[in-house]
Amino acid sequence: MPSAGPPREGTIPDAVERTLDNGLRVVAFEQRNLPLIAAQLVVRCGGAASEGESEAGLAALTAALLTQGTSERGATELAAAADALGARLDASSGYDASVASCSATTPAFPSALALLDEIVRNPAFADREVERVRTKSISDLTLTYANPSSLARLVAQRVAYAGAPYGHPVAGTAQTLATLTGERVRWFHERAYRPDDAVLILGGDVSVEDAFALAQRELGAWRAPQSPCVQPPAGGIPPPRARVVVVDKPDAGRTAIVAGRVAIQRASDEYYAGVVATSVLAGYSGRLNQEIRVKRGLSYGAGASLGARRMPGLFSASTLVEHTRAAEATAVTLAAIRSLVDAPADDADLVTRKATVTGGFFRSVETVDGVANALAEHVLYEVPLEELHVFARRIEAVDAAAVRAFAQRRLVDDEFVVLIGDADKFVAALDPAYGPVRVIPFPALDLGSPTLGG
Amino acid sequence: MTALPTISPASLAVSPLRFVDRTLPNGLRALLVPDRRVPAVAINVAYRVGGKDDPLGRSGFAHLFEHLMFKGTSDTAPETIDRLTEDVGGYNNAFTTEDITNYYEVVPSNHLERLLWAEADRLGSLQVNADNFATERDVVIGEYDQRILAEPYGMLDELVNRESYVVHPYRRGVIGSPDELNAAALADVVAFHATYYRPDNALLAVAGDLDIEETWRWIERWFGPIAAPSTPIPRVTVVEPPQTAERTYTYRAANVPLPAVEESYHIPAAAHPDAAALDVLEAILSAGRSSRLYQSLIYRNPLASSAFAGADLREQPGLFGVRVTCARGIALADARAALDVELDRVRTQAPSEDELARIGTQIASSLVRQRQTNSGVALALIRATLERGDPTLVNRDLDRYLAVTADDVLRVARTYLRPENRTVIEYLPA
Repeated sequence: MPSAGPPREGTIPDAVERTLDNGLRVVAFEQRNLPLIAAQLVVRCGGAASEGESEAGLAALTAALLTQGTSERGATELAAAADALGARLDASSGYDASVASCSATTPAFPSALALLDEIVRNPAFADREVERVRTKSISDLTLTYANPSSLARLVAQRVAYAGAPYGHPVAGTAQTLATLTGERVRWFHERAYRPDDAVLILGGDVSVEDAFALAQRELGAWRAPQSPCVQPPAGGIPPPRARVVVVDKPDAGRTAIVAGRVAIQRASDEYYAGVVATSVLAGYSGRLNQEIRVKRGLSYGAGASLGARRMPGLFSASTLVEHTRAAEATAVTLAAIRSLVDAPADDADLVTRKATVTGGFFRSVETVDGVANALAEHVLYEVPLEELHVFARRIEAVDAAAVRAFAQRRLVDDEFVVLIGDADKFVAALDPAYGPVRVIPFPALDLGSPTLGG
Repeated sequence: MTALPTISPASLAVSPLRFVDRTLPNGLRALLVPDRRVPAVAINVAYRVGGKDDPLGRSGFAHLFEHLMFKGTSDTAPETIDRLTEDVGGYNNAFTTEDITNYYEVVPSNHLERLLWAEADRLGSLQVNADNFATERDVVIGEYDQRILAEPYGMLDELVNRESYVVHPYRRGVIGSPDELNAAALADVVAFHATYYRPDNALLAVAGDLDIEETWRWIERWFGPIAAPSTPIPRVTVVEPPQTAERTYTYRAANVPLPAVEESYHIPAAAHPDAAALDVLEAILSAGRSSRLYQSLIYRNPLASSAFAGADLREQPGLFGVRVTCARGIALADARAALDVELDRVRTQAPSEDELARIGTQIASSLVRQRQTNSGVALALIRATLERGDPTLVNRDLDRYLAVTADDVLRVARTYLRPENRTVIEYLPA
């Protein structure tokens, strides 16, 4: 086998931040490999964590309606305008923020940014559009619930967070969506979409100075409202508690399994150790996939993720298996997580897992959208932008002791397990050591309830 | 309303991809694209073999074989490719289509020669044992479970191929059936490798931080010694007879949440002159929120959860599919009636020049986006070569799309979107 040559260093564009007179923070970067420019407006208090439990789906409905008409253009005209520019114009919500974004080729970008400004500042929220999007959102939930893996993720959030923020589904439920009105959407928009609490990331085939000038021209006249910023409700996250929740869905093609625990905040000192610990489990060569797919052929794949957020996010491991092998796969999954403590990775093992993490990071910033995403994450979680340049060094600095300590403190013990599938085929085989198993028939499942109904 | 300036699609032309195209004496063809902005390189090795080439009674075999290519050679242990990619911060994967099997890696550029060596090694001397053959077959059945059984509309894709073709092997799809996968034996693996995995059936595309002459020397060193057998490579010569009457099927499954329908129309191969107009027709029907299906079935009338059209252009004659999934509470007949109106419109009226210009800009922008990654560039070259016969087509695609006229779109809609040329599958909750 030939040996590798000397490595070349990767580079990440420098990001420059300024604040416009209206309070809007602008982060600009230059990356000139292709004639493309991207912008993301991060609406920091506009995420689903800011909405009340009884209004689940309000942030997502508000974001979805931004592209459905403005004071200047109806939904159809707006779509035609964006498509005629060959631009992408979108808005969507997560728990911690809503993001409105556009990207386009260099000659089309100034017009695309004008459209972004228009949808953020002057959405129409016409009654018929509210009704239409709400009805479609309710209809789409039927599709989401039909996929066992998608449903398992939603149930896992509830099991982990109950009634705390991050417990309710971002997309809402049929019951909560039915109560949302145009008036509530306008209320939420007025308090959340504001220059004094948003950050615009803008960059690509443009100089930093031109990027600021574009931002000033399109968004400089945006004024903050008098009303206070919408505030995330203060809700304590319940302590981790081992439990098994089964949603009995005999028509599911296969059983989806999610095991997890609430772990850490993005701003935590433990973040980089958490990323490396998760990488020991995740990816093709990670322990989960090795145990579940490569050694046992139990599934096409198994993975793990660490959802570090403003508040402690969810660590989860997941897979999808034949119903009759769900108990076996659950045991293998929990054992793989536990192996981080019982058979910890040594520093030599970590060399390759850390390479996977840093390699993935450098690839993620290959595109202008990727750089914008990375900057948006830093801005949202109040991580200094300079951290982007030292990401690889921070990962390198994590040693075996730190990974084991992280796993001991944050991952093993007290994991919950969610299984969505044909319960009769696996419940009896689940290890009694997990404790009592709660079985919820799918028709009785209520994602709108902190206890899942029943 | 603030008027927005119009963008001329021609103004979005990016500079042509510069690449060298060389062939070794053993028939291995290599396309090399130097681009030194990022210290990484994408390596793709595509073999001209796919689901349509599965041996009789072994549907799914080409794809199962793709998995086995990761299971070791006479010189290396299973998962060596993962060690050479993941462990140094890269990644690898592979996919099988009806026509090709493509293996790819992205690695830091100082590892390029090692990956060329590894690809040559598994082309030259694959070695699979009974144990990892059995385990990997279970993994592939697990993939079938995930994509076909657990995914509510997964089976519909299989049904579309199965019912649209009467004799052509495209009817078997790519993933195959668990029964036929279980019938496969280790001897089939050896025979398949000997038949299709040969240098004169492979296309190598390398894009990124590379020096052309140095890379070519490595290719000569590692791929050069692999002999091409003198036997001919079997090719599918079956021709699907023209369809003369509409065929309609109804299927039901317990996990179907909302009724759906797919209409699939026979269309010519990817290299046919009508292909560009069919792509434009697809975009008119379903690219973006201004597209006709979105506007009429989702926006103006809330009839559908989703509505898509797609020109599935293949090496041999493919399918133009139109799929509508009902919105909750909507009867399939009502959604289909609205779909019929839109399909009638494309068959009877040419699109306006404005609409065509908008589509041109959308397509031009997507061609620019495709250039963003080395892997996107390498794959575009692979597909142009193997599906359309010529890698230089990637530099003519924008002109090809901009040359499509409103009359061309009307003509292809009339020619191919005829009821007697289609298979309709209604897919309903049990």
